[in-house]
Amino acid sequence: MINIDEIFDYTSYNIDREPHIILDNTKCVTCEERWCVNVCPAHCYAWTEEDQKMSFAHDGCLECGSCYILCKPGAFTRWRYPRGGYGVAYRMS
Amino acid sequence: MKRSFEAIVVGAGPAGSAAALEMAKAGVDVALLERGNFPGEKNMFGGMLHKMPSLEEHFPEYWNQAPLERHVSKKATIFMTNDAHVNVCMDWEDFDKPPYNGYTVFRPRWDSWLADEAVKAGATLINRCTVEDLILKNGKVVGVKTLRDNGEIYAPVVVSCEGVLSFLADKMKMRKKFNPAKMAVGCKCLIDMPKQMIDDRFGLVRDQGVAYEYVGVSMGVRGGVALYTNRDSVSVNMVCHIGSLGKSGITLYDMMNNYLEQPQMAKLLNGGKLAEYSAHAIPEGGYEMIPQLNADGFLICGDAAAFCNATGINLEGINMATHSGILAGKAVIAAKKNNDYSKGGLDLYRKLIEDSYVYKDLKTFKRAPGLLHDDRIFQKYPDFALDMIKQIYQITGEPKRNMTMLVLNHIFNNGKVSLMDLMSTVWTAWRAL
Repeated sequence: MINIDEIFDYTSYNIDREPHIILDNTKCVTCEERWCVNVCPAHCYAWTEEDQKMSFAHDGCLECGSCYILCKPGAFTRWRYPRGGYGVAYRMS
Repeated sequence: MKRSFEAIVVGAGPAGSAAALEMAKAGVDVALLERGNFPGEKNMFGGMLHKMPSLEEHFPEYWNQAPLERHVSKKATIFMTNDAHVNVCMDWEDFDKPPYNGYTVFRPRWDSWLADEAVKAGATLINRCTVEDLILKNGKVVGVKTLRDNGEIYAPVVVSCEGVLSFLADKMKMRKKFNPAKMAVGCKCLIDMPKQMIDDRFGLVRDQGVAYEYVGVSMGVRGGVALYTNRDSVSVNMVCHIGSLGKSGITLYDMMNNYLEQPQMAKLLNGGKLAEYSAHAIPEGGYEMIPQLNADGFLICGDAAAFCNATGINLEGINMATHSGILAGKAVIAAKKNNDYSKGGLDLYRKLIEDSYVYKDLKTFKRAPGLLHDDRIFQKYPDFALDMIKQIYQITGEPKRNMTMLVLNHIFNNGKVSLMDLMSTVWTAWRAL
């Protein structure tokens, strides 16, 4: 069983303070689908209905690329891999 | 740090290290750039290593020297619902003898091993080196910009082995726009279990391993599970098409938990402990997704070129990536000899690819991705088939129907799957496979 809120207990990261993905969340307000919320396997995206706001945290990003594939053009002002040596660090996958 | 080389390979995965190995062995001064702290640190897969003849040219009997987990002697396709499963299991003595049919591996170890071999042959491996862009001169690729200070590195040819997102091919306008319906995302739970427990539960001895594929466990989403045994862990991989997953509103990890809690799976994995969680996108578009492969000073290999065959019967990727890397290496060697790194000078790569099983298989199975867009396979058929099989094997004390009547009765009275449904799927499958 996996509890995604405890991802840092299972997977190692060397987190860069400089984010490798910058989301323009004004685009998310008009997005009809917001599928990123359930597609992201690390649960990095969360939509708050009251505030009508998408929040994104790059810390737990597994660098899988599904949001890059899924989201509308212009949703990201930056989408690149982390600087060398930073980000997710698999030991045996 | 040295700034110019005869060739640059972006990404030290199976394609990149194979390309660098091929080139270095022929005396090409090649830089192999890797964004992780070491090759394989960023890589995961939900698959196995199939037989790789092109690698055997460099390492005859590589199974004696490479860091492998188990050889796969047993394969199964399993139809599963929330309370039942039917297992079509294939167990051959031949697959238990060298040359083996395939292996399970850990990517951080396997990818490191292959990169080390490229280094031993003379390649320059540069870790912690993320490539951000290409450097172009008069429309020709002449180097790369990296995310390091003064991070330009120059060479007359750049081989992109950067993986599925294929940023550099996009910058060259060589790849097609991604279609979320034709791309997949997989997550993996690596579950620690003692070797003896794995051997007993899966019916294995020595280094024997299994590769099991499950259909019907993806909560109606287009996808499935692939399970592999390592020496003392089990990899469980849940893979779904991104578009279908998005629409469903379900998450991969909830789907994974649903599968792990299925009573038959819970028994099989009882006592296991989650050791690592990982995920990655997969280019499942097949033949239609293959980009233009060569440009002036530029080649594309592996996942970046969509060389991935996920027909649902075998799941191939690393073997195709490795093969394409070796062919790119051969083309660069020839280009060096002729001192012609233009698109035409590198066209040997395209020819070699089109002549190889990589391209031919993707072409033969070009309709397979379409077959996997038949939602009935994931939503209705597993329930339907398992219900019918249950009736066949159940003795109730009521008089039995003969087999034909039972099947026909099931088709006409189950209320879920119609004869038209079945005929349409059989027709699509016939054309696809």
